[in-house]
Amino acid sequence: MGFRIKKGALYLALIILALACLLPFMLMIVNATRSGAEISQSFTFIPSHYLKENWDRLFNYFNVFLGMWNSVLVAVPATLLGVYFPALTAYGLAIYKFKGNKIIFGAILVFMMIPGQLSLIGFYQLCTKLHLVNSYIPLTIPAIAATGTVFFLRQYIIASVPLSLIEAARIDGANELYTFHRIIIPIIAPAMATMGIMGFIGNWNNYLLPMIILNKNDKFTLPVMMATLRASLDIQANQGAIYLAVALSVIPILMVFTFFSRYIISSISAGAVKG
Amino acid sequence: MKLKKLMAIALSGAMVLSMAACGSSSESGSASNGESASAANGEESLVVWTLASDLKDFGARYQEKTGVNVETVVIEPADYPTKVQTALMGGETEPDIIVGEPQMLEDFYDNGFFADLDEMGAKDYDGQIVDYVWKVGQDAEGIQRAISYQITPAGIYFRRDIAQEVFGTDDPEEIGKLFADYDTILETAKTLKAAGYRIFASDAEINYFSGDSAWVVDNKLNVSDARFDYMDLVIDLYQNDLTAYANQWSTPWYQAMSGEVPILTAEIQNYEDDSVNVWDAEAFEEATADLEKTTVFAFGLPSWGVLTMRDNVGDTSGKWGVCAGPAYGFGGGTYIGISSLSEKKDLAWDFVKFCTLDEETADWWIDYSEGDTVSLISALEKHKDDANEVYGGENLYSFWLEQAKGIDYSKVTKYDKVIGDAWGAAISSIKTGQASRDEALATFYDTVESTYPEIEVTR
Amino acid sequence: MKTNQANKKLTRYNNWGYLFVAPFVIVFLIFSVYPVLRTLYLSFTDLKVMGDAHWIGLANYKRVVTDKFFWIALWNTVRIWVVNIVLQLGLAFLLMMVFSDVKYKMHGLPVFRVIYYLPNLIAATSVAFLFKTLLDWRFGTFNQMLSTIFRLFGAHYNPIDWIGSTSTAGSTIAVIQAWMWFGNSFIMLMAAVQGISKDYFEAAALDGAGRWTIFGRITLPLIKPIMMYVAITSLIGGLQMFDLPFLMTEPASASYGSTQTVMMYLYKFGFTAGTIQTGYASAIAYALFLIILTVSVIQIKLFNRGED
Repeated sequence: MGFRIKKGALYLALIILALACLLPFMLMIVNATRSGAEISQSFTFIPSHYLKENWDRLFNYFNVFLGMWNSVLVAVPATLLGVYFPALTAYGLAIYKFKGNKIIFGAILVFMMIPGQLSLIGFYQLCTKLHLVNSYIPLTIPAIAATGTVFFLRQYIIASVPLSLIEAARIDGANELYTFHRIIIPIIAPAMATMGIMGFIGNWNNYLLPMIILNKNDKFTLPVMMATLRASLDIQANQGAIYLAVALSVIPILMVFTFFSRYIISSISAGAVKG
Repeated sequence: MKLKKLMAIALSGAMVLSMAACGSSSESGSASNGESASAANGEESLVVWTLASDLKDFGARYQEKTGVNVETVVIEPADYPTKVQTALMGGETEPDIIVGEPQMLEDFYDNGFFADLDEMGAKDYDGQIVDYVWKVGQDAEGIQRAISYQITPAGIYFRRDIAQEVFGTDDPEEIGKLFADYDTILETAKTLKAAGYRIFASDAEINYFSGDSAWVVDNKLNVSDARFDYMDLVIDLYQNDLTAYANQWSTPWYQAMSGEVPILTAEIQNYEDDSVNVWDAEAFEEATADLEKTTVFAFGLPSWGVLTMRDNVGDTSGKWGVCAGPAYGFGGGTYIGISSLSEKKDLAWDFVKFCTLDEETADWWIDYSEGDTVSLISALEKHKDDANEVYGGENLYSFWLEQAKGIDYSKVTKYDKVIGDAWGAAISSIKTGQASRDEALATFYDTVESTYPEIEVTR
Repeated sequence: MKTNQANKKLTRYNNWGYLFVAPFVIVFLIFSVYPVLRTLYLSFTDLKVMGDAHWIGLANYKRVVTDKFFWIALWNTVRIWVVNIVLQLGLAFLLMMVFSDVKYKMHGLPVFRVIYYLPNLIAATSVAFLFKTLLDWRFGTFNQMLSTIFRLFGAHYNPIDWIGSTSTAGSTIAVIQAWMWFGNSFIMLMAAVQGISKDYFEAAALDGAGRWTIFGRITLPLIKPIMMYVAITSLIGGLQMFDLPFLMTEPASASYGSTQTVMMYLYKFGFTAGTIQTGYASAIAYALFLIILTVSVIQIKLFNRGED
């Protein structure tokens, strides 16, 4: 009986924690339906009827869907590049012994510790020299060199890929790239998916770099567009529209996130069956 | 082999086709622009980087008038300097028009972000723009770099009906005398409190008028007596329950524009008095029902406050007036200039002139913005008899023009933001009792010293 | 011991390593190394915004060391980070224990994992905006709720100015930070646990090992590399804390001095109009880097010693 009560208490604690995490989303959705004046006057979970007005106000400033599409154009390639190539690199560093391996790994560790913001000016100067301003390339290609992901996946490979598996593949005469794609990727898929989710969210919400790199309204990603709402004179009245914009911007990541987390689980169970 | 050849042919064919397509599209593009563009020399578009949405309206208007394609990129004010600095340091030629608020300008001048407008012929327009705005747009050597279409002198916005009741007059001249200096303001505040009113909603309303000299003079930190007087005034207002304790720009602050707000004494503010629960709207109504409600008498804001007030005064519209504060002051303003890296400077200059020096535009803006104050003297004089009904029919344009004449532009330095913030933090620490006066001042001096080693700090 | 021939064969395989890391190295050199080396150069110059940079040697670094506010900022950062990490990792670790426990076999991991991660989906700007409203001293919902709860028990609640008061501002930000990130740490720990082959657990269970033994002997050692990753990245990330404190506190308020982090201090000199001193900002960046490096090296050493 004590077991049951304890288990029940555990579930209760888990649910309370879950509610604390859901709270801002509920507020966001409710406030998206309220007028600026209502939001500043009181707090409630009961929706009001200003959704249409907020929607019109928002789309009067910019096309949210264009912003979303632009964000997709940045976040999807950046995420894919930022998972595949670091996985390749991590595998290379974890499995092969070659000259420079330690130097590269050391450099990765060191670069993880360098505060990102200050290289902004150097980064921008580089982009102008390479004529990459206003292009999505500076926002996507550098994901290949995601040091944190390489580090994480290297640790993961060391912990979870048995060397015997690779040796067996070699005896079967498999090409190394083939081994990586067909044997290793399925094993490290949960970790890749985890990094992919974080990468996608990071890229989707990224503000500073796109704000600096992009100069055309029709190329702006969603966070950059949303910031212009705060540049308008009537912030007070725009509050409802701002909440609506935030709510709309969260939907795609929510979708990606649920999809990926299902993928992690299925890949784990698939691995279990095979194992 | 055959397949490869076929592929090669197909590819080269595709390339030729696509090149042709590009060629024709660019031709048609320039043709269509050519017929609408008034600027003949192929400069058919302008890029504007701004931090407030108003230039968007100017851009659209310019496009409508001239056919020049204006792309206005609005960037959040907090990030605007970062954006411009990174871009121009990186050699970006894209923005033709960049803007700056007064405290950003000195940096922009020092670093050569703005093109020389005198070279374009700005000297010819000397005297057409309100003097202080014209001067703020000049760099240390007196070269014109930017011009604002607005003037932003500060004034006291007061309730005429309360003035009549308490002081027997609502003449802005007479009411202005009640705000003549800090001691008088304190007296006025006490008189109003005795009559059941509060002088201000927040204790920061005099900020725009504070300080009679620059924060930095000859590379020395200059904390004039007026700064200390201002500090004392704020602390007195706060600690003697003379304001309604709203924070500037907060919701209750806006609410105070439209009428009654409950009196919150300092005790309630600090929650030593548990009898009032400020958070539960109903309980709050009940608990404060016995206490008189109060009405706020005045707000201190620059001329663009005319619009802020208009949108928030609600039923008290028409009962307001505007008078002079204890000193001349100004706040904000968007200064328009040409990026030094722009490749279309002539067209850009045309745009700057359109926004700032064109009487027709000024007329349009006065009408379109419903009461913003332009900087073009001829337009201000033309509209000097315009009566603004929100403010009891006061002729605001002539009032602002008068106020603007007294402004000493040399008080503006690039250090203002940081030093002003540090001073504000010191005042806030002292008035809420989080630090002693000595501690707060020491922190203030240390902050200035460590931020600007080149400034000499004497304590 | 391997034979010579096997070694040769291994070398041949090992050459594949170059191919695997080549794309990374190329992009890394262009987009990461170049900007960072440029910053290093700038840290030895007197460059402010634009114009010529003059070599001034170590002067910027001397200034960092003697700058009282740099050390205050570092102290603020560490203080906020410690509160944050204890909450964040503690909670994530507890959750990991709950969900990997062989006795309770808790259900609903997929759902809970998604929900716990939700706070991390919202951009920091929105989180800051939300909590500024919620935690408002006089009109915020949080104080409203606390006050109601207190009243239910017949007590009075003296509301706290969570963000505006020096004594609470730092901890408040730390709690929000932990709220945002505990789901992230939890997912990583869970991913590590699930990476462990089921065989281990089954074998241990067959040997009659209890759940604590399994946890201590199998789970913990096997997720150690990931734990190390989480700890190091959290520290590195924590010392670079910026968004939340930057967005939530006002420079002219009393509490600003207690929430200004090193990155905010760097941002002030790197990017804020009126205070841009690129050379000095670069030096602050490298000073911070040296601190992170030192702490990380110690951390790695400690972890490795545990392994031996």
